Amino acid sequence: MDTLLAILTIFAQPELLLLVGAGTFAGIYIGAIPGLSVTMAVSILISFTFSWDVYPAISLMVGIYMGGVYGGSRTAILLNIPGAPSAIATAMDGYPMAQRGEAGQAIGVTTVMSFFGGLIGILVLALAAPFVADFALTFQPRDYMLLAVLGILLVGSLSTGSLAKGIFAGALGIAIGAVGRDPLTFTPRFTFDLQIMEGGISFIAVMIGMFGVSEALLQLQNVNLKSVRQKIDKIVPSFGIIRKYLPLSLQTSTIGVIIGALPGTGGDIAALMAYDHAKRVTKNPKVPFGKGAMEGLVAPETANNAAVGGAFIPMMTLGIPGDAVTAIMIGALFIHGLNPGPMLMIDQPDMFWFIVGALMTANVFMLIFGLTGIRIFTRIVEMPRSVIIPLILLLSIVGAYAVNNRISDVYWMLGFGVFGYFMRHYGYPLGPVILGVILSRLLDDNWRRAIISEREDLGRFFEGIVTSPLSLVLFTSVILIFVSQTPLWTALKTRIFGKATS
Amino acid sequence: MSLKFLGTIAALGLSATMATAQNYPSKEIQGIIQWGAGGSTDTVMRSVTPHAEAVLGGTVVMQNMTGAVGAIALNHVAGSPADGYTLLMGAENPMLYKIMGLGDKDYSEFVPINILARGTPILVANKDAPFDDYAGMMAHIAANPGELRIGSTGPGGVPSVVTAMMNTVEGKLDVIAVPYDGDGPALTALQSGAIDVMPAVLGAAIEGIRAGAMKPLALFDTQASDKLPDVPAVTSFNEGYATYLPWGPFFGVFVPKGTPDDVVAKLSDAYAKGAEHPDFTSLMDSRGFTMMAISGDEAEAFLTKWQQGTAWLLHDAGLTKASPEEFGIARPGE
Repeated sequence: MDTLLAILTIFAQPELLLLVGAGTFAGIYIGAIPGLSVTMAVSILISFTFSWDVYPAISLMVGIYMGGVYGGSRTAILLNIPGAPSAIATAMDGYPMAQRGEAGQAIGVTTVMSFFGGLIGILVLALAAPFVADFALTFQPRDYMLLAVLGILLVGSLSTGSLAKGIFAGALGIAIGAVGRDPLTFTPRFTFDLQIMEGGISFIAVMIGMFGVSEALLQLQNVNLKSVRQKIDKIVPSFGIIRKYLPLSLQTSTIGVIIGALPGTGGDIAALMAYDHAKRVTKNPKVPFGKGAMEGLVAPETANNAAVGGAFIPMMTLGIPGDAVTAIMIGALFIHGLNPGPMLMIDQPDMFWFIVGALMTANVFMLIFGLTGIRIFTRIVEMPRSVIIPLILLLSIVGAYAVNNRISDVYWMLGFGVFGYFMRHYGYPLGPVILGVILSRLLDDNWRRAIISEREDLGRFFEGIVTSPLSLVLFTSVILIFVSQTPLWTALKTRIFGKATS
Repeated sequence: MSLKFLGTIAALGLSATMATAQNYPSKEIQGIIQWGAGGSTDTVMRSVTPHAEAVLGGTVVMQNMTGAVGAIALNHVAGSPADGYTLLMGAENPMLYKIMGLGDKDYSEFVPINILARGTPILVANKDAPFDDYAGMMAHIAANPGELRIGSTGPGGVPSVVTAMMNTVEGKLDVIAVPYDGDGPALTALQSGAIDVMPAVLGAAIEGIRAGAMKPLALFDTQASDKLPDVPAVTSFNEGYATYLPWGPFFGVFVPKGTPDDVVAKLSDAYAKGAEHPDFTSLMDSRGFTMMAISGDEAEAFLTKWQQGTAWLLHDAGLTKASPEEFGIARPGE
C-alpha cells in the first residue's frame, strides 16, 4: 500500500507532474540536437535545482533523461545525424526510410517502440532490481573485455558491402579511441607531442563529423535534385505492426536492460548489440537491413530506452551509477541530503518507488509528445537541399563546440567530416568506425585490468575464463559468432545438414 | 613624453582597475570544474557556489572541462585574463603535474581563493577477504606474496600516494596494483571481487561500509573519525605513519596570478561565507570531508607543505617522471 502511494506521489502533486512533462519535452529536443547531451543538461540542472526540494528536482531530471534518450532518434532519422551516440544504429535504417518518403512512419514506430522498451526497463527495475544488480556485479574485467570483443564482432553486421573494408573501418575507430593520455597510466599515445592530441579526440566530434558533415558534402552532389515527398498517413503504427515486432522487441529490451545495468556500459553499446541481434534473428526482412528495415529501428530504440531503467538498477540498489547520467543523479541526491548507497532502498524505500513512478510518467509523456507534431518534423526532409545542407553544417558545428566548449573539437569534427565523405565515396562503412571508438576504451582498459590481475600470466587468465560460468558463456559466444562468420561454418553446415536432408 | 602625461595614464589605469573592482562582478563569472559531472569535485563546487553567489551578488556559470587529469582545465584558466571572471575549481592533482610529467603548470601560477575541504583516505577490503584489519592484511601479504590485488587510479591519484606511504613505512609490499578510472569504478570492482583492497576517500566508501558491502581495515589518519568510530587509525598499527599524516586530497577555488587584490578579496570573502552555510557544512560532514575553508597565506602555506610532502613521498617510491628538485620543490623539513 505504501509502495503504491509512493509510486503515485507524482499524481498527488500537480507541479511534479508538470515538471516531469516539461523535462520530457525539453529532453526530446536536447536529445535531438547533436552535441547537447542529457548528461550535460542534467549536470546543469544540479545547480539550477539546488534550492528546490528533492522530489521536484528528481522529477525534472528523470523527464529529461527519458526524453533525451528517445530524442536522439529524431535527427538520426531525418538528417542522418544521430542526436546521441545511442541513436547511431537508428540512423542506419531510419534515414533510408526518410529518403523513401517514410519519415513519418519511421518516427511513429520509433516512438511506440521506445515507449515499449522504456516500459520493460522500468518493470525490470521495479520487480527485479536487487536480482539484476547482483548479476551485474558478477561481471569481472575479463567479462567486460569479452563483451567488448563480442561488440567488435558486430563489425560484420554494421558493414554493408565489403567485410574487409568494414574491418579496416573498425580498426581505425579503435585507434582513434586510443589517442591521448592513456587513462590508466597517463602515458601519451598517438599524440606526436602535440598539445591538442593530449586530451584525446572527442568521440562526439567524430560522430557528428562522420555522419553530419559527410552527409552534407555528399548531398552537395545532387543539390538540385527534388526532395522526396513524405507520406504522412500511417504515422501511428497499427496494432498489427506492433504485434509483429513484439517478440523481437522483448528480446532487444532484455539486452537493453542488462547492458544498461552493467556499470561499465550504457545505451550506446546496448543499441548496437540489439541491432546486431535483430539482424541475426530476422531471417527474411521485408526490406534489407541498412536500406530501411523496420527491424533495424525497433531493435536499437527498444534497447536504448530499456537501458534507462537498467541504469537505475545499480544506482538505486547499490549506489553505483549505471551510466554517466545516473552518476550525476547520485551527486544530486547527495546535495539534497540523501545518502545514495546500498542502504537507500532500506532507509528510504519511498525514494525508490517515487523514481519508478516518475520514470513511468515520463515514459507516457514521451509517447504523447513523440506522436504529436510528427507532420511538422517530416517537412524538414522536404526542404530544398540548398537550405538543408547549410542547416546540417550549422547544427554540426554548434553541436561539436557544445560538447566541451572547445574550438579544437570543431576542427576535429570538420576533419573527420571530410574524411568520412571520402570513406563513403570509396565504399567504406562509417558504422564500424564509431563502434570502434565506443569499444576502444572498454576493450583496452579491461584487457589490461584482467591480465594485470592475473600477474600477466596468460595461463591463469584462461583458467579464470574456464572456471567462471559467466566468462565461459561469453567466451563460447565469441567463438561461435566468430566461426559463424567464416566460410568454415558454411562448409560445416552443408556437411551436417546437407547430408541429413538429402 | 612628459611626466605629467605618464602620470595621467597611470592615474587612468589605476582608476580603471578601481572601477573594475568596485563594480565586480559586472558580468557572469565562469567557473571551470576540473573533473567530470557527478564526481567529488563537481559535487563540492556545485553545492558551495550558490551560497557564494548570494554573498557576491553575481552569477557563476559552472562547466565541467575534463581531460588529461584536469590539466586541460588548468591550462585553460591559466591562459584566461586575470580579471576574476574565470575561476578554476579543482582538486589536489595539479600539485603533482610537474613531477609526473603531465604539464608544466601547477597552482603556483594561481592565487587560492579558498581551499574548502580535505578528504581522509580509508583502506577498505572486499567483504569476503580473508582478513579483518590492517594487521591481518599485512600478514596475508607476507604469506601470499604477489597475490593481493589493490585498486589504483593511476600515478598521482590518492591510492598511489597511500600505497607509496605503505611501501615507505612497511617496506616494499609485494602486491598487484590494478588501475581504474576513478575511485567510483574501483569501489564497484572491489564489491564484485575484481580487486581485494582499495585505498579510497572516506566519503566515497562510507555508505558501502555502513551497508556491510565492504570491510574497513584502517583509516589513514592519526585518529579515528567520528563518522566511523570503530575503524582504527592506521597509526595504531604502525607509528611510522605519523610522519606523513594527516594527509588527504583537497578541493579549492583558484584564480590566475595577477588578478587585482580587491577582486581576490571579494571572491575570498564570498567563498569563505558560502563555505560556512549550514547546508554546505552538513553535506561535507555527511560525506566524511574535513572542512578547511582557508585562504590567503594560510592556503599558500598549506599548498606548499602538501606539495613537498607528497612529491617527495612519490619520488622516493620511484613513481615520478622527474625529481621534485628540478622544479624547486624542497624536501619537507629542509
